[in-house]
Parts: sequence; structure tokens; C-alpha cells
Amino acid sequence: MKPLRIALTKGRLEKDTVELFEKIGYDCSAVRNKGRKLILPVGDRIEVVLAKAADVITYVEHGVCDMGVVGKDTIMENGSRFYEVLDLGFGKCRFALAGPKGKNFYEGFSEKTVASKYPNVTRAFFESKAMDVRVIKIEGSVELAPLLGLADAIVDIVETGSTLKENGLEVKEFVADISARLIVNTASMKLRKREIEELTAQMERAAQPEGGANL
Amino acid sequence: MKKYNKITPEGTKDLLFEDCMAHRKVEAILSKSFSSRGFQEVVTPGIEFYDVMDPEVSGISPEIMYKTIDRHGRLVVLRPDSTMPIARLTATRLQNLPKPIRLYYTQAVYRSHPGLTGRSDESMETGVELLGASGRRADLEAILTAVESLSKCVPDFRLELGHAGFFRAIASQLPISPEERERIREVIESKNYAALNSILDDLEPSLPVTAMRRLPRLFGGEEVFAAAEPLCVTEEAKEMLDYLRSLYQDLAALGLGSRLMVDLSLVQRNDYYTGIVFSAYAENWGDAILAGGRYDNLLAHFDAPMPAIGFSVSVTAVAKLMLKQGRIMPVEAPEVLVFGEEGYEMKALLFASELAEKGKTCENSVFASLEEAEKYAALRGIRKIALVGEGVSYQDVPFYSGSRNEAEDGRKTV
Repeated sequence: MKPLRIALTKGRLEKDTVELFEKIGYDCSAVRNKGRKLILPVGDRIEVVLAKAADVITYVEHGVCDMGVVGKDTIMENGSRFYEVLDLGFGKCRFALAGPKGKNFYEGFSEKTVASKYPNVTRAFFESKAMDVRVIKIEGSVELAPLLGLADAIVDIVETGSTLKENGLEVKEFVADISARLIVNTASMKLRKREIEELTAQMERAAQPEGGANL
Repeated sequence: MKKYNKITPEGTKDLLFEDCMAHRKVEAILSKSFSSRGFQEVVTPGIEFYDVMDPEVSGISPEIMYKTIDRHGRLVVLRPDSTMPIARLTATRLQNLPKPIRLYYTQAVYRSHPGLTGRSDESMETGVELLGASGRRADLEAILTAVESLSKCVPDFRLELGHAGFFRAIASQLPISPEERERIREVIESKNYAALNSILDDLEPSLPVTAMRRLPRLFGGEEVFAAAEPLCVTEEAKEMLDYLRSLYQDLAALGLGSRLMVDLSLVQRNDYYTGIVFSAYAENWGDAILAGGRYDNLLAHFDAPMPAIGFSVSVTAVAKLMLKQGRIMPVEAPEVLVFGEEGYEMKALLFASELAEKGKTCENSVFASLEEAEKYAALRGIRKIALVGEGVSYQDVPFYSGSRNEAEDGRKTV
């Protein structure tokens, strides 16, 4: 039988997922000692693929991976043509609108410019407010844009807010909560229902906080 | 200025040789299967008025339609779907035909997808519409036509049955606004259990709330019917479930049992569907390869209310699967190259026609010298040359002694 193929977002989500797998009892030694390999076995029924966040979605949408673990931020930015079956509860952070400290972003009638690594999320957020803003895509350190005078504010992922603080910025408004999600290709869900539901249930149980109430 | 004269627009492609053959083969198999069941072929225009595709009715969002403006400033679109035009056609020109009307089509549809995702904007679809018939006999006919036709191309697929009304029946029993209903529909469509729970947690616990909570999990094999039974919130929902079960059992009796699935939570947005819905999935293809269902209200939008059911098959998907599964033989070189000696060109052509009549595949040599003809035949992989002069004689193509690279280059350009 073909192993279930799961794409993991490289980095922290990968680590958290591997811990989850180990908690369930899967042998993750291959992933722990992966070297440069990108496709690795976990136990004998699962195959893990390591990819960048947006690529996890691409591989799952095309069905070359049956499942994936990816942040809600990436899902919001890239859209969804797959099943989003589980909130894994880790990788928690928030999308927020942030700008220079003490300045009211919404004040005045002049055109506002917002910089973000997530132009689609930004656009959707301001569309929901029926606000017409100029969105500029920035690839790294978005905090620079308001400091350099390119933008009035940024929409970005905020965990502790310390980067913002150190650069004289503050959160103006929360946009959305983010955490890691388990996603499933629509055709795989139909063709391999039993295996997928079993693994999903295992992951759901293992993702419950220790001693926490089961919802 | 950059000239785009050597590439095709993103999302489109040239179909060569095997790919092309696979497409044509799928089309031929399915057309034959449809026409042998009394379906008649129609072709609708590649360009239609935008109004025909009204997003409110079709569920096709305006963003994905290729639009342009006609001479009079009216909005037109490249056909994004074939069922809407066929509904228009039936409601107007075929209104007075005796019912039911059985139609089939094989034509491309155009949808603009976000760039660089590897999805095609132009894809070939074939399908049938059975118009002016309702009820069990028509439903069974449509499903069976789908099963039998698809079996001739990719025997190993799974067929999924659902009912578009099941979600509606439960939703009608919940105290929710149309916006909340749409939000619930969205999270059920993406089987987002967590989001669904958080929406439903705000409602007073009741049977419809429990039913809605369970809905996205109501898919799988025959056991789904038993699981859904206690969740039938209305008499109507119960009838739908019983009906679906009876169809399931009829199909299982055909030996389809292990390949049948049920999903009561099929709630796509582009949902003109009113009754049963069905789709087919195959290994190694991340999406449905066939989709269809009953759409009893669609024709009313064109002022000719009548029940109807239909399905469409992605020719592109089925062709690729057939290639992957080795069901399409590679294109073979012709058997014979016909070479006419100087002064016998016409005779050679007529001889080629004669061979073709007899069912042999052959090519006419356009080269003036036998040596060139031999070289070409070797490159092309043609085994025999027919020499046409006063008489006709055959010779085997000698082994081509040119350099290997030359031979390979030649094959690429042939």
C-alpha cells in the first residue's frame, strides 16, 4: 500500500508536527537525522515531505501530497481548494495592523499606504472595511517600510510584538488569529478516507493540551 | 516592444502526438458511448453573452470568466461552462421538441485561474444533459451512463453520490441569516470542523445543530446512511436519504459496491444542483474527473421550466490518466514510404492511395533521390520503402549510418 504523503512546512511547524507524531508513537528518526533529504519515512505508513509553506498548499492542491501541515496565514494568503480538517493548536500567532506609535492610522482623508508580505490578506482586510488603500508587497522586514516613509502601516504576523516595539511601532488592530492547520487533498480524502481519518483523529488527540478538556 | 509570437498564453498549450491522440481517443470512446444511448451531439458558441452565465444562477464567479466586449458594447465571455449554454439552447430553440431531450457535447471551456499554479485555463470537457425528465429512471440513466462511459477509459475509478438538498434541509431548520448560512456552507465545503464548531457553538443546542455539526463527516461507504438516519431533521431530509440509499443499492447490485461512496456534505458553490449529485475520482488525480447532478430549477431562469440532469467529464484528466496507465499506445511510424521514380510521381501517389484503401499506413516521399528517401525513412522509423516505377517493388530500409546525434536531432524536428 502506498504510504500517506504529508507535506510539512519546513522549520518550526515541522518540528512541532514531528513532536506530535512522536507523541502518537511514530518513529521519526529519519526526519530527525534527515541530512539533505526532502522525502522521509515516518513509521511505515507515512511519508513526510519537507517544503516551504506556500508549496505545501500547492502540493496538496495538486494531490501529489495527500495531506499537509501549514499555517493559517499561508492559507489566508493563498486561498484554499482543499479540506482544512484540523486546527493543530501550535504555531499560534496573529495577523495585525501596525503603525508608528501614537499616530492614528484611520485619521484624515489622505490615501493610506500599507506594506505587507501578505498582500491578499491585507487587501481582503481593508475590503471588509470598504477602505481603499494602496497595498505594497515587501519581501522581508516589513517594519522598515513605515520607518523609511514608504508606508503608513503594515499588516504582518505578530507574536510578542517586541520587533514592533523596538522600531517604534505598535499594534493598531488585530486582523486574524493564526495557528497550524492540517489540510487534506479533496480526492485523497475520498479515496483514502479510513487512513486519513485515523491519522487525523490521532493527531487531534495528541494535539490536545496535557490534561486539558477534550472538546 | 516585446513580441509574444513564440509562446502561448499562460494556462494554454499545444497538444502534440500522444497527448493529442489520447484526447481524441477519450472523446471518441465517450461520444460513441453517449450516442449509442440516444444522446445527440450539439456544439454551442465559444463566445456567449455574459448574461447567459449569470453568476447568481451559475455560481461561476465573474473573476474567472474571460470577458470582452462585442461591437455594440455588450459584455461577452469565452464559454466557462457547457451546461448554461445548453440550458439556454434547450429553453429557446428546442422548446417544442418532445421530452425528454438527450444532448451531449465535446467542447473546450475557458476559466481564468491565478497564474503559476499549473492549472489549465482551457480544458476539454465532454458530457451529457438529459432534459425534461425527472425521477428515478432518469437519475439512474444518467449515473449509469456516466459509469459505463468512464469504465471504457479508466476502469478503476470511485463514484461518489450525494444530495444537494440535504444541506438545505438542515440549514432551513437553523435560526441563521443568509450570511451565516453561506459561512456555514463554506466551512462545510472545506470540511473545516474547527470553524464549523465555533459557529455552531453560538446556537442553542438542538437536533439541527447536531446534524449540521456531523454533516461534513457524513461521507464514506454504505454505513453513512445509518449514521445519517437519526440526523434527518425533516420529513424531506428523510425522503432524500431513503432515495439516495435506494440508488446506492441499485448501483451496488451492478457490482459497483466497492467503488461506491456517499458524501452528504457536497455543497459546492457553483451549485445549480437541486437533487442528487455525483462525481468520480481516480488514483493519481487530485480532483474529480467527472461531476454531475440534477438541476431542476436552472431552465426556469431561461423561462422554460423543466427538470434536468447531466454530467461532464474532464477529457484532459481522463486522457492524462490513460497515458499514465499505459492505455494509449505510442504513435507509430507509417508502415511504408512510397517513393516514385522520376516521371512516376503521380503513379506513386495513386499507389499510396491504394495502400491506404487496404488499411496500410503510408507516407509519400517528397524527396527526389532514393538516397534521401532512405535517410528520411530511417530517421522517421519507417521500415519499408515501396519503389514505384514501371512496376512496384519493396525494399527494407537499410540501417541508417549517419551519426547518432543527427538521427536524434532529426527525430526531434520530425
